[in-house]
Amino acid sequence: MGTTQLLFWFLSILAILGAILVVTSKNPVHSVLWLIVVFVAISGHYILLDAQFLAIVNLIVYAGAIMVLFLFVFMLMNLNADTEPQKNRWLKIAGVVTGGALLLVLVAALKKADLKAQMAEMGKGDIGLIHNLGLVLFKDYVVPFEISSVLFLSAMVGVVVIGKKAEEDKTTLGSQKYGG
Amino acid sequence: MWTGIMVPLRQELMVTLILFLLLFIKVGASEYRTGTILRLVNILLLANLVLGFFPCPDATLFNGMFHTGRLIVLEKNILNLGTLIVSLLAYDWLKEHRQALEFYMLLLATLTGFFFMISSGNLLMFYLGLELSTIPLTALSGFDLEKKQSSEAALKFIISSAFSSALLLFGISLLYGATGSLGFDAIPRRLDGSAFQLFAFILLLSGFAFKISVVPFHLWTADVYEGSPVAVTAYLSVISKGAVFFIFIQALYTVFRPLAGNWNRMLILLSVLTMLTGNLFALRQNNLKRLLAFSSITQSGFILAGITGSSRAGDASVIYFILIYIFSNLGAFGVVSLISAQTGRENIDDYKGLYAANPLLSWVMAISLFSLAGIPPTAGFFGKFFLLMAGAGRGNYVFIGIAALNMVIALYYYLRVIKAIFMDSQPQPIGKLKIPLLPNIAFGLCVAGILVTGVMGWVYDYIYSLSIGF
Repeated sequence: MGTTQLLFWFLSILAILGAILVVTSKNPVHSVLWLIVVFVAISGHYILLDAQFLAIVNLIVYAGAIMVLFLFVFMLMNLNADTEPQKNRWLKIAGVVTGGALLLVLVAALKKADLKAQMAEMGKGDIGLIHNLGLVLFKDYVVPFEISSVLFLSAMVGVVVIGKKAEEDKTTLGSQKYGG
Repeated sequence: MWTGIMVPLRQELMVTLILFLLLFIKVGASEYRTGTILRLVNILLLANLVLGFFPCPDATLFNGMFHTGRLIVLEKNILNLGTLIVSLLAYDWLKEHRQALEFYMLLLATLTGFFFMISSGNLLMFYLGLELSTIPLTALSGFDLEKKQSSEAALKFIISSAFSSALLLFGISLLYGATGSLGFDAIPRRLDGSAFQLFAFILLLSGFAFKISVVPFHLWTADVYEGSPVAVTAYLSVISKGAVFFIFIQALYTVFRPLAGNWNRMLILLSVLTMLTGNLFALRQNNLKRLLAFSSITQSGFILAGITGSSRAGDASVIYFILIYIFSNLGAFGVVSLISAQTGRENIDDYKGLYAANPLLSWVMAISLFSLAGIPPTAGFFGKFFLLMAGAGRGNYVFIGIAALNMVIALYYYLRVIKAIFMDSQPQPIGKLKIPLLPNIAFGLCVAGILVTGVMGWVYDYIYSLSIGF
């Protein structure tokens, strides 16, 4: 087993373990911390696939910015207590059975799979550099790239509309509180 | 070189242009009158509809990311027409709304998404189009800003669509692993029906099924339809569903053609389940929006029955049915929207005795519901007839028999509403309502569409001449 394979297995086990702990942790803050572990492991996978730029961006944006936002929300809403209500036991069993059946089918399908894709290119370290990424992004994938800007614009408009509502709710609530 | 890109892309460009125009009005103008803006937007949407009718060459642009042809242009025209009618119907509600401009910006963003989705020649492009339509739609369903129920609908919608997107993405990535390509032309050459590819396909199918609310994946539909503003519900049930059906049938007939034997059986099962469940739940509803939600689930089942035909007639009947469905469903939703905006009443019991004071609204409602039920002189009958004919093309007579039985069940709850309107009475019936000009035009369009489309044979012939099948 080479170093790459060793790293692959290590990162995979780390990611899966982290993901399981995200779901099972009772405390939301712990969940977020485990989620960071998952993101770091996935960034490691990106580096193994020679996608260095993607790995760094993933680390900065997800593990950095978004997770901090999550923590802020938990802090502001004071969610760090164990507030999740206990679920029905039968529901849990049903969930495990369904999930297990899906896993079984997936594993069986994967075992007989005949992958026609080219395997990841190993040993050629330059495919994930910004230069090549930019070329692909602005040549082959220019339309999806441009459309995603409309997507972000519309998402922003939607957020502003909903955000304005929250502001009004607060003012009406406040006036009720102090006026009445 | 520019015309080579501008002409095939003209509908997308026009919609995006209107979107940005509205954005600049919103940012730049300190004061504007909502009524004026609404009229301006409706004129622009009309211009957008007209623009689509200019001839367009078949084209494949941007390395096969985007492709268009006469069939795709026709589908976009149908969506444009539906959007225009929704916009006309929403006039009464938007006039009082402080964020009418944002409503249109979000609406047009979804329309751009649908256009790119229908035209996509690549799964990446398809996924982006779908997201571009879904995310603004969730904001739209929360647009009744002061209602809790509307926020609840938005939340439910975004969670269920995130879930369905996750399934879809998982399917796409597995398919990419199995075939080594995301292009619509390369995938079918490498599909051989192995278990792994089928698994990927089923995940993709579930993603689609969420969007068109086919039965095991329909749980979000009723709550979202009930909570959203009526105009958004109408848009969701007609335009959104129609667009996803267009790309769904394209994907099945071209990309997943090698798996036809498999998906045919899946679709028959889903279709029967969808028709039965939609009907049985619709029987028990008292809120008209919920009733129309379940009725739209049932209609999805009928459309699936048409798709199983996998012939040119299958494709043609689905597109034809969606055209008619736009007229009939928007007619019904238009009446509900108007009455809800002016009186806030949405239950079937509230509609008792509607005919006494509002004969015009009652007739529009009755004709729309007759068309939804598929009663002969209306276009709905021809739509359903062609769907079932296409479905019967493969010889599944038992299945078509079940579908026909479901049409009879559906008749019961449609007629219940009509009975309430025309025959029942109540102590406080809805008084005489004022119908503004723009919704009146929309009602005219819907009723004319319902009564005329079925009789004019060339509409179906034209669609048939463009259709694909195998």
